Amino acid sequence: MSLRRLWAVTHKEIQHILRDRSTLVLVLITPTALMLLMAYALTVDIRHVPLAVLDQDRSQLSRTFIEQITAGEDLDLYAMVDSTSQIEDLLVRGKIKVALVLGPRFSEDLLSLRGLPMQVIIDGTEPESGAFAVDHVGSRAEAFLNEQLGKQLAAQGLAVETLQPLDVRIRAWYNPALKPRVDMIPGLISLVLGFPALSVALTIAHEREHGTLEQLMATPVGRAELLLGKMLPYIVVGLANVIVMPVLAMIWFQVPFHGSFPIFLLLSAVFLFAVLAMGIIIGVFMRTQAAALALSFLLIFFPGFFLTGIFFPIASMPEIMRLEALGLPGTHYAIITRGVFLTGIGLDVLWPYAVMLLGLGAAFTGVAALFFRKRLG
Amino acid sequence: MDRIRRILSLAIKEFIHLRKDWWLPAFMLLGGASELLLVGWATSRPITNLPLMVLDQDRSAESRQFITDLQNTGTFALASLVPDFATIEDALDRGDINAAVVIPPDYSEEMLAADGRPQLAVILNGAESVPGTAALRAVEGLARQQNEQIVIERLKIDPELFSGFVPRIRVWFNEALSEALYTTPAELGLMLEFTVLLFAALSFSRERELGTLEQLLVMPFSSFDLIAGKSLPVVLVGFFDFLLMLGMVHFAFSVPVRGSLLLLLVLAGGYLLVELSKGLVISVIARTQHQAFLLVMLVGMTDFMFTGYAAPVESMPPVMQALANLIPAHHWLAILRGILLKGSGINVLWPHLLWLLGLGLVIGTFSLRFVRRALD
Repeated sequence: MSLRRLWAVTHKEIQHILRDRSTLVLVLITPTALMLLMAYALTVDIRHVPLAVLDQDRSQLSRTFIEQITAGEDLDLYAMVDSTSQIEDLLVRGKIKVALVLGPRFSEDLLSLRGLPMQVIIDGTEPESGAFAVDHVGSRAEAFLNEQLGKQLAAQGLAVETLQPLDVRIRAWYNPALKPRVDMIPGLISLVLGFPALSVALTIAHEREHGTLEQLMATPVGRAELLLGKMLPYIVVGLANVIVMPVLAMIWFQVPFHGSFPIFLLLSAVFLFAVLAMGIIIGVFMRTQAAALALSFLLIFFPGFFLTGIFFPIASMPEIMRLEALGLPGTHYAIITRGVFLTGIGLDVLWPYAVMLLGLGAAFTGVAALFFRKRLG
Repeated sequence: MDRIRRILSLAIKEFIHLRKDWWLPAFMLLGGASELLLVGWATSRPITNLPLMVLDQDRSAESRQFITDLQNTGTFALASLVPDFATIEDALDRGDINAAVVIPPDYSEEMLAADGRPQLAVILNGAESVPGTAALRAVEGLARQQNEQIVIERLKIDPELFSGFVPRIRVWFNEALSEALYTTPAELGLMLEFTVLLFAALSFSRERELGTLEQLLVMPFSSFDLIAGKSLPVVLVGFFDFLLMLGMVHFAFSVPVRGSLLLLLVLAGGYLLVELSKGLVISVIARTQHQAFLLVMLVGMTDFMFTGYAAPVESMPPVMQALANLIPAHHWLAILRGILLKGSGINVLWPHLLWLLGLGLVIGTFSLRFVRRALD
């Protein structure tokens, strides 16, 4: 490995990148633009869930309850209906996501302490809103019970808490309101920083497609020098985005950043090495840019989205998929970004993930270099 | 007749290209489906197995019962019983656990007293909000259930007459609340859109980058022939992909087809044409395949945000809700879910159908004129 030859390749790659200005602009802005897009759309706090109510009791109490349920911005009363078939119609047409049915003995049962007969119907095709509504109705129902029955219980010499004897205090650390925005944005950084890897895969496939790879191989530049030289400029491109991300997250989205910035930068560089090495492998194995692109989608983009634990916890995946998740650089980096941003942990805790990333990067680069010569022949 | 022959010869040329690099057709035809199988299998399941730590300061039959009940919710996997709070703090900092429960020493005493208030402290790891929320719901659900039991016992309510203080839940269109039913159709939509957009966006940008576009242009093809010849393989591959993935979600993930399959196939064809039109515009704007890809990413992800898969559109600000109507994929996902899961027909889906038709006409006309001008 000669630093001079390594620099020669890097220099050539930088020339390529700088010459094609429009691609450069796209390469530079894509991660940040995607970050903005996804941060906005994926972290919508669920509110204004449209609701229909079927009140079979039609009493003062049931009306009060409905008023309390629909107060605020969580549930929006779309319609009061007279039958379940109307509910079905509204659900099918997507006008409502949730329906609340109050039984005919709603006030009678409530006042005689026999319960709160009601049913929540949710649209199983989009159950997120439904689950949210169930939570909302459940907690409002508790408050309603205490309010309505407080006096009655006091008359019997019982405390208001009689109906909720368990005193469960739930607290969420690092993100007290469990806002998706707070943890999704650090997680998404691991997804959007994968894009430079796709660019690396493309540039290598590009050289092959245009027949310039043979020329490069005829020079005294070694395999590892060539691959690393191709990688370096994109690490720089990636790091440029890494610097922008915390600023964007903190100022624009008000995500806290408790950790150390130099450590974040260092670990991000390690991640870029690992994920770019994945891009290198793809570039080495594919003969055309189109194929390299398709494979990048299948190996980097979609798994980065679904399998790295950003959206779905890895602990809940089947055993084999958990292993695959460990082989994806994004999995480790998502732990790092969330740790640095939200928990404020440092290298003393994060070093195993950094080691995993270095190992993955070295393994990917090794495989790529090994197969590089063969694929040329 | 002559025109059809010319278009066919162009389409066949595309397939010959595909044969030269056999990876590409393999990805185009099978990539989406295999990815869907993988992702669906890994993520279309309830959230379970979340590592949980318990600090049991009571060590009574009652506290052990609570720990068992917590495990029986299926949401948690007991990582360990710990002796002190510092261990919990450390594990949360390291991100090793998603939740921790502290049972104070007087738990059983309060539980057994006639008017006791047993306390529990639950700490969730907010650095992962998805499992955090699942854990929150599991704990709250269990607490409500136990409250009812305690109330029944303490107030000596006849369980026969008791209808419960907790609302009963019914899930429509997905009675077993199978995650696969709502995630896999959306993932199918995502894979399909990216396959078609990418394939279409590469069509002219590749020829231009490799310098073969000039050759095509000097041949006796009209620009319309060129567009049709390039589009045919994309539509064929896209439709094949759709059929394959539809079969997969139906047979592998038990997603029903409750509505009319014919209607679905017709609308899928229409939707593909709209995405094709977008891809072709990208294809002539981009000068290299690299640019084409980056543009596909930006356009595709923008669409994805508004499909309603990632976040409910009705919770978005009004401006974004209005914008969602201009995204073909938004209407397509509503149609796909409607026909598959709700058994909806045209009588229900017509607003989405009209939007899709209108968008298709506008985008299609624009695309045709734009691409023709760029080629001429």
